[in-house]
Parts: sequence; structure tokens; C-alpha cells
Amino acid sequence: MSLTARYLESHGIPTVILGSAKDIVEHCGVPRFVFSDFPLGNSAGKPNDRESQTATLELAFKALETAPAPRTTIQSPQRWTTSSDWKLDFQNIETIPQAEIKKRRAEFDRIKEIGQKVRDQAADN
Amino acid sequence: MNSQTDTTLQPLGFSEEHDIPVPYMQRLRDYYLALGYANPYRWAQYADVPFTPLNLNLDQARVGLITTAAPFKAGAGDQGPGATYNAAAKFYKVYSRLTNEPEVLGISHLGYDRKHSTAGDLNSFFPLHALRAAVTQGRIKEIAPRFYGTPTNRSQVTTIKQDCADLLTMVIEDEIDLAILTAN
Repeated sequence: MSLTARYLESHGIPTVILGSAKDIVEHCGVPRFVFSDFPLGNSAGKPNDRESQTATLELAFKALETAPAPRTTIQSPQRWTTSSDWKLDFQNIETIPQAEIKKRRAEFDRIKEIGQKVRDQAADN
Repeated sequence: MNSQTDTTLQPLGFSEEHDIPVPYMQRLRDYYLALGYANPYRWAQYADVPFTPLNLNLDQARVGLITTAAPFKAGAGDQGPGATYNAAAKFYKVYSRLTNEPEVLGISHLGYDRKHSTAGDLNSFFPLHALRAAVTQGRIKEIAPRFYGTPTNRSQVTTIKQDCADLLTMVIEDEIDLAILTAN
């Protein structure tokens, strides 16, 4: 998404990214970014929470209206939960047992194989 | 040092040390190295960032919505809320669909946080309801007639040379004034 935003912006279209992977987006460097400190998959606000989604979109509008320069990040003040422990879980190798790692390697190889098949089919069409 | 952190600083109301934005790049690098893949992904990185100021008021703007979500693909297995990672649901070309004919979109093909999220509400990653409300309230003029989906190719060359160029053609056709991109 970061590459896409940069491309559109360089062709004269203002952009704003809604996202939750702050390090990845900022590492790339994008014009405007609304960062929600949420688990990946909720870049537009909390599920089934219109108020959260409206507030998130409003920050995107504000970013478009007020960003003074590229690399403008606005962090949403919303919290996912009162506890921050969810942040320790995502693909954290320190918390995954060895046996599970082996299983995940096999699973990832299988996923890659499926992905390659789908890609090949797409190329044929 | 630790004892100072624990005893001296606690009364100041600091948050827990891990309460920072998740360091995804480090996590993913460590994760795939542990799985045995010795060639870490090189994340896109630029010194210069383009910038186009918004040169009109939002209430005059046609807004384009760009997503990494995928249209439901028949025969590709479970793509709904809580589905396990589904590579068969991936797509490899930019697509567009009519905004006023919402169809089922999913993110089962993406590496979102499946422990803490189920992708059960489309509007938590595809803000169509909120955008429609913004139109009703006069905050923006309108939503573009189509929304756009971009693949999450591992190849950054393909993303830039092919996908971005295809997308630009579409959004120019639709005369959007600005784009909102939702990552997952």
C-alpha cells in the first residue's frame, strides 16, 4: 500500500493510508498516514463500532486537509483494549514452542505452493 | 536499571514497556529466520517522499477507496471471518468493482492478526459505511463510482511497474481527487 500511495502521489493524486503496521509504512516513507494501534486487519476502525470507524476516517480527512509535508503520521488516540498484551502475540518467535515452529514451516511451504499455483493460473488467463 | 524502572518510575504512570507500536519488521524477520528461511525480506525504503497538497475543499472532492481485500472467489475455500490463511483466495491483478454494488470482500489471503481479530466486519478494513456517511453529511462530495483492489505481491517490481500503473489508469478514468488506502 505504501508503494501505491507514493506512486499516486507522484502522479498528482493526494493520498492517505489507514494502517496499523507503523514501522513498515514509515520505513517506506509515505505522504500521509493515519496509524491505528490495533491488531492488523482493523485499519479503518474497530469492528462493529461505527463511532470508532467514523473517528478513524475523520483523521484521514484531517490528514488530507492539514498535513504540512510528506511523512505526516497522525496516530489515532483510540485503544484496542485496556490491556496492551495483544501486542506480544503476533508472530512472536519467543512465545512459539519448537515443535510448533516445525509445523509452521511445513504449513508455510504448503501455502507458498498454493500461491504459486494461483499465480500461474492468473498468468495463463 | 530494571529496579529503577520498576520502583522509581512506576508512580509516574508510565505504560508497560511493550505498549509500543508492534515492531512488525523485526518480528517477521525473526519469525521467518526461525522457520529456516535465510533470505530476509527487504522492506521498501526511500529517502524521498512525494507530496501533492490537496488543492480543493473536501466537500468538493471525489474520493477513491483502495483496498488490499479480495472479492470472494468461488471454489477457493473458506474466505470468511476467522478463516485460516488462504493463499488460494489471492489475486494478482488490480481489480475494480462498482461502489454501489458492494460484494463480499475478505482478507483471508492476508496475514492479519488472527488471534485478536476475525475480520468479521468489512467496515473495520473497508470504510464504505463511514464514507457514505461523510457524503450524507457533506464532509466529502462523493465516492468514486468504483473502488479498487491491489494485490499484495511479494515482488516490489511488479507492484510498481504493473499494479501501480494499472491502478493509476483506473483512478484517472474515474477522475478521483484523492485516494484513501486501507492496508491490512
